[in-house]
Amino acid sequence: MDGDCSSASPTESKKTKSKTPRKPKESLLKQKSPAEFFAENKNIAGFDNPGKSLYTTVRELVENSLDSAESISELPVVEITIEEIGKTKFNSMIGLVDRERVDAALYDDYETEKAREKRLAKEARAQEMQAKNAALGKKVKEASATKVMKGRGEASFYRVTCKDNGKGMPHDDIPNMFGRVLSGTKYGLKQTRGKFGLGAKMALIWSKMSTGLPIEISSSMKNQNYISFCRLDIDIHKNIPHVHLHEKRENKEHWRGAEIQVVIEGNWTTYRSKILHYMRQMAVITPYAQLLFKFVSDTPDKNVSVRFARRTDVMPPIPMETKHHPSSVDLLLIKRLIAETSKQNLLQFLQHEFVNINKSYAERLIGEMGPDFSAKIPVKSLTSQQLVRIHQLLRQAKFDDPSGHCLSPAGEYNLRLGIIKELHPDMVATYSGSAQVFEGHPFIVEAGVSVGGKDVKQGLNIFRFANRIPLLFEQGADVVTRTALKRINWSSYKINQIQDKIGVFVSIVSTKIPFKGTGKEYIGDDITEIASAVKYAIQQCCVQLKSKIVKKMQAREQQERKRNLSRYIPDASAAVYNVLKEMTQLHAAKKIRYEDDALELLRKVSDNLVTKETLSEKLAKHVEQVDYEMALEYATQSGVSEEPRETIYIQSLEAENKMIDLQTPFIVFRLFQ
Amino acid sequence: MADSKKRRRKEVGGGDELPFKDKLKADIAILETLKEFSASTSSGSGGQTLTLQDLPLPFRCREVADLSLSSVQSNIESLILRIAHSILSGHGFSFDVPSRSAANQLYVPELDRIVLKDKSSQRPFANISTVRKSAITARILQLIHQLCIKGIHVTKRDLFYTDVKLFQDQIQSDAVLDDVSCMLGCTRSSLNVVAAEKGVVVGRLIFSDNGDMIDCTKMGMGGKAIPPNIDRVGDMQSDALFILLVEKDAAYMRLAEDRFYNRFPCIIVTAKGQPDVSTRLFLRKMKTELKLPVLALVDSDPYGLKILSVYGCGSKNMSYDSANLTTPDIKWLGVRPSDLDKYKIPEQCRLPMTEQDIKTGKDLLEEDFVKKNPGWVEELSLMVKTKQKAEIQALSTFGFQYLSEVYLPLKLQQKDWL
Repeated sequence: MDGDCSSASPTESKKTKSKTPRKPKESLLKQKSPAEFFAENKNIAGFDNPGKSLYTTVRELVENSLDSAESISELPVVEITIEEIGKTKFNSMIGLVDRERVDAALYDDYETEKAREKRLAKEARAQEMQAKNAALGKKVKEASATKVMKGRGEASFYRVTCKDNGKGMPHDDIPNMFGRVLSGTKYGLKQTRGKFGLGAKMALIWSKMSTGLPIEISSSMKNQNYISFCRLDIDIHKNIPHVHLHEKRENKEHWRGAEIQVVIEGNWTTYRSKILHYMRQMAVITPYAQLLFKFVSDTPDKNVSVRFARRTDVMPPIPMETKHHPSSVDLLLIKRLIAETSKQNLLQFLQHEFVNINKSYAERLIGEMGPDFSAKIPVKSLTSQQLVRIHQLLRQAKFDDPSGHCLSPAGEYNLRLGIIKELHPDMVATYSGSAQVFEGHPFIVEAGVSVGGKDVKQGLNIFRFANRIPLLFEQGADVVTRTALKRINWSSYKINQIQDKIGVFVSIVSTKIPFKGTGKEYIGDDITEIASAVKYAIQQCCVQLKSKIVKKMQAREQQERKRNLSRYIPDASAAVYNVLKEMTQLHAAKKIRYEDDALELLRKVSDNLVTKETLSEKLAKHVEQVDYEMALEYATQSGVSEEPRETIYIQSLEAENKMIDLQTPFIVFRLFQ
Repeated sequence: MADSKKRRRKEVGGGDELPFKDKLKADIAILETLKEFSASTSSGSGGQTLTLQDLPLPFRCREVADLSLSSVQSNIESLILRIAHSILSGHGFSFDVPSRSAANQLYVPELDRIVLKDKSSQRPFANISTVRKSAITARILQLIHQLCIKGIHVTKRDLFYTDVKLFQDQIQSDAVLDDVSCMLGCTRSSLNVVAAEKGVVVGRLIFSDNGDMIDCTKMGMGGKAIPPNIDRVGDMQSDALFILLVEKDAAYMRLAEDRFYNRFPCIIVTAKGQPDVSTRLFLRKMKTELKLPVLALVDSDPYGLKILSVYGCGSKNMSYDSANLTTPDIKWLGVRPSDLDKYKIPEQCRLPMTEQDIKTGKDLLEEDFVKKNPGWVEELSLMVKTKQKAEIQALSTFGFQYLSEVYLPLKLQQKDWL
């Protein structure tokens, strides 16, 4: 581009720019701490507005708790409580005295004279209308609760508490685990719910921004005789924790787990349903967890308390940390792996730091790299050019696909159980695909399709899970939604896309979920590997369902065949008879000639020996005979497998067994209630 | 009337220049070429048209014929008698219905139309999937029997309303009606059931409808509705040089209002979209009796060509009667995909083809009736390649009367048809 240009100035300026950016005017070179960056771009982490922030806080805390319990193979018990805090209470918490408004007109929600006139007139009109309606005997609609205009400053505050029975945290690590953005324990290459070490910290940043109150953490680990208690907030500019209190307390009950309490601004009314949906879907995908959700406010009728009981104690295995697949690495990653590796030479490095490279393959790779390389070359001494060559080769060479054994899918059993437990569908089918690969990362797609059930809308209801987290937002662009809506021909599986209550559940697990957009809310539709795997999984479920549905339809057809056939007997016999009748009349009047056996029939008709009823009877007899034959055929084909169906009730594991034992000398009767 | 029209044309001519207007020769010159064309067509089509019997086809085909009322009646009666016997002997009953599915259709290039092969299927009463249809078939047979006795005509809608409860919706009774005419081996018109009037005709044509003489130049702007019973139509006379087949009502209106047929003697016909049976019958009658060439003006999209194909070689639904319904040798005058560039139709008047359109276009390219005409293949390939379509109305971008003032005359002058 910048060859032998006569005027060198543009090239020169370009060069200088690329090396040291020339500061336009006097702007200072500032640096931003990660915490500051995320505080300014809250939406990246799902803290777009107070309502969403409340939702995301709940979500992050619940997911951390589940991860923590699963990491020590403990069946999770998670209690989450949202407590509404009134303005007065909040002010007293932060030590602020409630002040009366003196200059009313100063405030944004002050009602001017004009506005009041308008409002009064409107209310009067509404009242008049209502009176009129009442007088006419019309059903009076409940007077819509007059909306209390919320002023700008009028925020609502919530204390979110999350308690679990997980691993707990080491006493000394607590400040850094919460007070430092982008620090975490989940950075390895494995399937995890969280990824960036952002969740709980973002909640803290949000609480600092909206309430200024610190976060409180209690935690105890196994074999610890004390509870760590820590109250801290974060120094956003330095991205370091600011500890208020950090002490060890007595642990009388040998409690293990963690409890995190944070006070934030939120909006319960608009995000109520989202939060409840989230909890419900989480219960679907983790039926082995016991989830307790409580919302507490000053007005008792707004309180919510939902318990999602544990239905199984089969827990998916803990996802294992795996090594990188050679085709997924980039240059930076290779450098990092080299810096961290304990292996000395290139051969060992390739063989041990990646999956699917064995010794002979590593040797072949090194041979292919060129004369500059040898198996014995010390890996730390590789030049950057040599690294590029390695990277190129790893990109181009053929490797076996990574196996999926490092993944921990929910499992067909758990998925099925979750669907049955939460939706009570009429029919359900599940399918678990084998591991597949996208850009060197293995992924597994599991799907469930249900038909019918309670609290299910007509049409398609889509439930998406990524690494066993429910995804609730940005459904429209998601690969699952697109596939279910556009690429599945439901009618070919005898499912009515509009009228049936269809539940589509798709869970994708991977060491790296290719989320689209800033929030981790949806998976793009542009990845063909995932799209086709999703489609195949849903289709497999549908194939299972189809045979069930067809059997059901056949059974119904069996029952209704005679009725359906008989329904048309009057129409058919009347039509035939009427023609015969006309013919006899024509024959009598115009003497049209017919053949002999026709004549005989017509004579019978005119003599009323053959009437409409005779035809109907004969047809009915024929239908009966055919029906009998068909039923016999159906029975021989399908066998006598139609045993009476019984509803099965799955008892929750945690429920107490109420039973009475009736003892006799020989046997004991145990009555379950 | 004529004066005012002339004045208007002058105004347009003297006013702003319409594109390509300068290429137009005097009307007399165009008329000369048309006369030549018309004469060649009438002399050329003097030979006998082929029938199915003339061809040594390797399989049997089903064709229907016009039957008299009495023979339709006796056909029905013998059918019903057979059924009554079958019922009384305890075997229920079953109809033997010729299949009208796509697999049973065949395009015969020698005839240039679709014919029906002789596959047929049973329609037993005592079967859950056919019970409804066989009941409806019996009922329709009875109703037609009545029509035969009384000797009257009804519409398909009338027929449907005689037993709404059984038929449920008109599509079902219409389908069975076609089955019945196939079964009885007669045309649908001989069942005395007609479709509602849809097509209209205007221009240099005089014919008798049920004994009344109709002059189609004196039918006002709307033209004369094409009578549903073709058997009542007769005594066609015309001094037209060609028949202009128009897909759209709007273009038809334009031509009728501008009295295009007075400038270039012609007969203008439209069926307002997909043609119905009576329009197709009427067109065929005009073509065979008057021996006039037929030029078609359709949209430049796959559906325009499809409509052309229905006029030309018949629809799959009515293939059993294609001998009576099709009009061979229809010329594609416009609007053709190549016209879009030739007449510099601006981009904003062209529409992008949808995926469905493109698929239809590609499917059409595989159809035999398109393949037999290399010019059509070329045009259609161009359409699929450019992925652009345009309606006849796109020509209005140069003025509402561009169609009748410039486009059509120029097309005729250049003999630009395929």
